[in-house]
Amino acid sequence: MPRLNYKIIIYIMGLLLVFNGGFMSISAFLSAFYKESEATELLAASLVAIALGALLMVLTREHLKELGKKEGYLIVTMGWLIMAFAGTMPYMFTGSIESFTDAFFETMSGFTTTGASIMNDIEIMPKGVLFWRSTTHWIGGMGIIVLAVAILPLLGIGGMQLFAAEAPGPSADKLHPRITDTAKRLWLIYVGFTGVETVLLKIAGMDWFDAVNHAMSTLSTGGFSTKNASIAYWNDNPWIQWIITFFMFIAGMNFVLSYFGFKGQFKKIFADTEFKWYTCFVLGFSILGAVLIYWQADVSVSSISHPMVWGEAESAVRHSFFQVLAVITTTGFVSADYTMWTPFLTIMFFGLFFLGGSAGSTAGGIKVMRHIILIRNGILEFKRTLHPNAILPVRYNNRALPNGIVFNILGFFILYMLSFIVGAVGLAALGLDFQTAIGGALSSLGNVGPAFGDLSPVNNFARLPDLGKWWCSFLMLIGRLELFTVLILLTPFFWRNR
Amino acid sequence: MKIIIAGAGEVGFHLAKLLSYESQDITLIDPVKENLLYADTHLDIRTIRGDATSIKMLKDSNVSHADLLISVTSSETTNITVCVLAKQLGAKRTIARISNTEFLEQQEEIGFKGFGIDELISPESLASKEIELLLSQSAFNDSYEFEQGALTMVGVNLSRTAQFVGKSVQQAGEIFPEVHFMPIAIQRFGTQYTLIPRGDTQFKEGDQVYFITTAGGVEELYKLTGKTKRAMKNVMILGGSAIGEQSARQLAKSGINVKLIEIDQSKAFDLADRLPDTLVISGDGRNVELLQEESIHEMDAFIAVTGNSETNIISCLMAKSKSVGKTISLVENMDYFQLSHSIGIDTLINKKLLAANNIFRYIRKGEVVAMTKLNNMNAELLEFIVKPQSKVCNKRIMEIDVPRSAIIGGVIRGGKGNIVLGDFTINEGDRVVVCCLPRSISKVEKLFQ
Repeated sequence: MPRLNYKIIIYIMGLLLVFNGGFMSISAFLSAFYKESEATELLAASLVAIALGALLMVLTREHLKELGKKEGYLIVTMGWLIMAFAGTMPYMFTGSIESFTDAFFETMSGFTTTGASIMNDIEIMPKGVLFWRSTTHWIGGMGIIVLAVAILPLLGIGGMQLFAAEAPGPSADKLHPRITDTAKRLWLIYVGFTGVETVLLKIAGMDWFDAVNHAMSTLSTGGFSTKNASIAYWNDNPWIQWIITFFMFIAGMNFVLSYFGFKGQFKKIFADTEFKWYTCFVLGFSILGAVLIYWQADVSVSSISHPMVWGEAESAVRHSFFQVLAVITTTGFVSADYTMWTPFLTIMFFGLFFLGGSAGSTAGGIKVMRHIILIRNGILEFKRTLHPNAILPVRYNNRALPNGIVFNILGFFILYMLSFIVGAVGLAALGLDFQTAIGGALSSLGNVGPAFGDLSPVNNFARLPDLGKWWCSFLMLIGRLELFTVLILLTPFFWRNR
Repeated sequence: MKIIIAGAGEVGFHLAKLLSYESQDITLIDPVKENLLYADTHLDIRTIRGDATSIKMLKDSNVSHADLLISVTSSETTNITVCVLAKQLGAKRTIARISNTEFLEQQEEIGFKGFGIDELISPESLASKEIELLLSQSAFNDSYEFEQGALTMVGVNLSRTAQFVGKSVQQAGEIFPEVHFMPIAIQRFGTQYTLIPRGDTQFKEGDQVYFITTAGGVEELYKLTGKTKRAMKNVMILGGSAIGEQSARQLAKSGINVKLIEIDQSKAFDLADRLPDTLVISGDGRNVELLQEESIHEMDAFIAVTGNSETNIISCLMAKSKSVGKTISLVENMDYFQLSHSIGIDTLINKKLLAANNIFRYIRKGEVVAMTKLNNMNAELLEFIVKPQSKVCNKRIMEIDVPRSAIIGGVIRGGKGNIVLGDFTINEGDRVVVCCLPRSISKVEKLFQ
């Protein structure tokens, strides 16, 4: 096979467009249901996407069903790109967003489940468009699940094979031997969780429209809200915030573990190393945060109102848990402005931006699994200096890891840090101040959403220059696709003959 | 008793030798002519050349009348097959040698008896158990427990610091009247001859002496022999074989820091995977620099269990020169056993010998409840249960006609061990521990029948 199998790549792009168009039509019908005038434009966007996709599929229907690693990289990257381009149509056709740059940023932020927005007033948007906005998150989350269980392990990126094939216990491979089946099972859980959260939010006091949108946004760890104030809109309703907190925790968990939970195998969940660390991180940082908010922070400084309907202590605990989870799981919902609490908490949250959720979740970032291995390897490095001849493998889930995986993860970490620095430098070059540049790059790369400085939770990305929006979109894409998948396409050896 | 042994390797040969002393009816089966030829010329047994997994072969060896079939070839699967076949063909009992320790651990679950294997013997796990026992009694170079320690046999090399060097057995007994021990065998320094001590036998420096002692006596013996009990904290194991791995696991479990050296890199990695509490080092154990880097001088014990006897012995000598307190070396070649004391390694172990001794105990079940061979000496230690019709019952020891080459080491009565003298009366139900040279085994057995 001397050449890349372009036909199948284009065929799959077509398939994705049709799929995308299908989801747009749901938004169109919803818009029609609310008797909005934008329904026809949304339907038009949907039909264009479907027609274009169908055309690509027809043109390349005679393709070889052979997929190599290289095709894999191209499909993943181009898939996300083409979805983002097609996803701008509902915004452009309805005129909700005027500039193409803004529309692209918004869709990319959606499909990468980042949740950074350029919309200054969300609440005046037509419901059909808002629903499409949440749908991009939800589709993105589905894509991440397939990516995590099926594609990344095959490509061997950043130790993701660990979570899939190599590790004993919860592994995607053992869930079900065939990838499509595995993905379907996990999707079912994903859809199921979304449904449950919707119902719970409705019961807690949201209307159906808000409930569905927020459920889709939570499970995909996205962060788009239908309110200008994000979840802070419901600061007088602790029930809603606790429900979302809980589902953020679930979304940041490995979906394979949730699957075991459904089958009643709770032992497997609690035996998982990553789950233990993830839980400890969440509890530890939330409790620390709650204590500091309660004793030190003056929440009245913030422009966000804190009604404290269940008392001050509960409010401190709730907002701490909510914000810690929003950042760790890279959801990026806002119930309070974490940059306005105390300087220490601001720095703590900055650190949490690097953490990320569990491998195999929809969360972005570096991921807990990689941190565990990096920390353990770091400790062993001291021992290795003392015993140069000793065999000291990093242990994870009671297994010794082959050196290759540890190198993968070290490589990933270094590349992540480099991308972060280059990203921040790029934003600074466009005139952003130190805090904003660093925060913007980190938030985009980790798919969190809100950041620091001018991009703090109460602000948004609208004030970025156009080039900055493209730059952040690029960072979101590479961060979402675990760096290597995208960056490898920029290397000369990828395009040389195999 | 009619016994068939499949496999004339070292275990098979040694077993055949032990059993033939007692004029058992033994048939040895092996496909290799040379193995059989050696056994045939040295031992009084019947040999058949052929594959023991052949049904015809088994029938030819008259397996239907066999009281016992022992399969000790080097192949585990062959042994299991032979035992299963033999049982179906009418052998009364079967013993299979295995190497997979999983079989031993899950013996109950699988139910080997159900498909025809009565006993499983794993030379590797016997060896690692032996290592554990030796380390727990670090000053002694051999030990064996009867009835969960009611009586203990220990072997010790007398150094100048031992208080009874130069004294006769009787004198030693007079000087330490409160101490309960009985010397049962002595090997003089530099000789291969085993002596059964009498009252006038003198202890000399360099003697390898075996004692029988009661539960509390072990501590006293430590003092008298001038040895101090050393707490084992750091142990180095050379060789990641099955024995090495199992020993490392057991020792680490009892809280000892274990360093395991394995030469093969990928094997070392697998070991590190399976032994989370052991520090696995990849390197050549013959490399002194490596051993020093891993601070061999701080080790309380050095155990060499590679597949190569010479490597084991040399590296143990190396460890001894770095003043490691206790060295144990695995040897395949039985001839090296005689060298043990003269070269200064504390203990040599041979897994085949261990296996043979262990199997021998099963055979003697009945009158003999336990049986062991003294390490690298030509003497056996037997434990009998006294029956009412036996000759010794209700007699004082001085009245019993014990052969000159045998000695009664102790008696366990009601679970309590006693060191006995001439005026002690043996009762029904007593368990008597006797040490004897091979030539008098049958005489001793007659006494207790």
